[in-house]
Amino acid sequence: VSDQVLLTTTVGSFGKPDYLQKARNANARGKLGETELTELERKATEEWIRRQERLDIDILVDGEMYRGDMVAYFAERLDGFRLGGLVRSYGNRYYHKPIIASKVSRPKPMTVDWFRFSQALTDRPVKGMLTGPYTMLDWSYNEAYKTRRDAALALAEVVRQEAEDLQAAGARYIQIDEPAIHARPEEIDIAIEAMGVVTQNLDAKTVSHICYGDFAAIYPKVLELPVDQLDLAMANYGYRWLELFNKDPFTKELAIGIVDVHRHDTESVATAAEGIRKGLRYVSKERLLPHPDCGLKTRSIEESEEKCRVVVEATKVVRKELAQAATPA
Amino acid sequence: MKTTVTGAYPKISDENQELRRALHRHDRGELDAGGLSGVLDESTRWAIGELNWAGIDVINDGQVRWDDLLAPFAGAWSGCDRGPLERFYDNNTYFRQPVITGPITTEGTTLVRDFEFARGVARGELKAAVCGPLTFATLVAEDHHYKSLEDRTLAVADAIAKEIRGLGAAGATLVDVEEPALVAHPEHFALARAAVERLAAAGVPLALQTYFFPADPLLDALAAFPVAQVGVDVRSRDTHALERLNALRQTIVLGIVDARNTRVETEGELVKLIEAALRQIPADYLWLAPTTGLEYLPHDVAVQKLKALVAAAHAAGGVKA
Repeated sequence: VSDQVLLTTTVGSFGKPDYLQKARNANARGKLGETELTELERKATEEWIRRQERLDIDILVDGEMYRGDMVAYFAERLDGFRLGGLVRSYGNRYYHKPIIASKVSRPKPMTVDWFRFSQALTDRPVKGMLTGPYTMLDWSYNEAYKTRRDAALALAEVVRQEAEDLQAAGARYIQIDEPAIHARPEEIDIAIEAMGVVTQNLDAKTVSHICYGDFAAIYPKVLELPVDQLDLAMANYGYRWLELFNKDPFTKELAIGIVDVHRHDTESVATAAEGIRKGLRYVSKERLLPHPDCGLKTRSIEESEEKCRVVVEATKVVRKELAQAATPA
Repeated sequence: MKTTVTGAYPKISDENQELRRALHRHDRGELDAGGLSGVLDESTRWAIGELNWAGIDVINDGQVRWDDLLAPFAGAWSGCDRGPLERFYDNNTYFRQPVITGPITTEGTTLVRDFEFARGVARGELKAAVCGPLTFATLVAEDHHYKSLEDRTLAVADAIAKEIRGLGAAGATLVDVEEPALVAHPEHFALARAAVERLAAAGVPLALQTYFFPADPLLDALAAFPVAQVGVDVRSRDTHALERLNALRQTIVLGIVDARNTRVETEGELVKLIEAALRQIPADYLWLAPTTGLEYLPHDVAVQKLKALVAAAHAAGGVKA
């Protein structure tokens, strides 16, 4: 992997197989035990590791077969949180929005066993996947802390513990997602400060995924977020965020979204390849990582695979062009 | 001092998920449009019943049929479609951005049927609501027709004004204009005012509801808006609006119960806010409300917030005007 350019990756989640969805529902109704559910989650995780290898993705994820929601998963495992009643997110979709009810602490690691399990299945690097402190705060109700900064910094401390445990377990990439970072652009200093707490002792490559919102409102300030790589949805936004880089050059590695994830159909390889070429105008091939715009958990397994296939095929097309251009005539 | 609510009420509770199930069945083709409409009416009846039962003086219909603030309009108007999902301001709640395909036109009867239904169900005073023109216009994903934000905002205002006329003809005596964009983008206040002037020409008293963001930079400007009421959040964000309420000329709908946080306010906290407001303005010019729509809370907490609001209003001496 090391000397390859345009390393491919994904944002984190994949569609769950039917047998797992059914098992999760049965578990929620008390009709299936934790041990049985975990076994099926492991089976689904292994299937996704194999699919990613077959698709020839360079940097893998565990697919988050054991998670429903990226904040609730952690809230359920941290002391200080309780899950509130149902709240609508859009249309007919509801979720249990977490409540920070008292001071937050981490009784034990939350994702490390899953990381170990999935990394042991493959020689390719698997990313450790965490939700960032600012997003944890913004997507919860805060009853416990006087200010949002206080809450974000307390959450940063537990995310730091988890990130350092992932690194100790061998994670070479640790992704700390902050999709809510632009919810209140005036608070970006809080998000930056909190991320600084998380990544201060990490040597692993650090990544943060940002999506859905006005990226322009936080650019170029977001370049101060202390991570090595930003992971951005671009296809869904017609690559318009790239234009911001004309005025203020992008200074990090860029994981660039080249297929929209909120459609059943997928862009052609040619269209996706054009997205990579657009990215190459601003970021070198060593620092540009093609991937789908966002997590694929709302897509079926077949749709998830197809989107990844297009990403990898498009990347190979552009790699070939780059190799040809580099060969003296 | 009257109590009121703004925006949407929770559509379901953990115990009552009938509407959620009906929408799933409708998606799967197991429930036809008529069947779904019946469940929507029942859910509206439920929401109105809860608002009445809580003792809110002036209620709305809970906006049970509204997928988001823009949906009823973007869905019904010619020249407009519902487009891609986007985050609704600083909420982890999403809406469909309108896509403008041609000149916006409406018969002006989009909300009439639902208002008449609600009036048949509600006890006491009922108000209607529309999306603010600046909010609608600034949240558009693509505009293939209007040349500028100004043109688009005023065209939306004309369509909304027509809806307000329709509501007035159906008997509405007060219409909330939900305009978070005004406080999100204070730089557009002159445009927002020009748009609201067109709404006011419809001849129905309006309540301009601002929320999500502090109204501080706009208090003086808001005084010049031709509306009967102005909604101001004095609770959920850092704001000094409470100390400057006398800048306004209209009745103030004071957002004192935080509709975006589950911690339920104590009576003491709320009474203190009310008393601070009463040092600025007479009780006749003060209404009390949650800071925004209660749908941002789980249903059980929304109910507790309504109780806290009503109890505080009574404690502060506002027992039924």
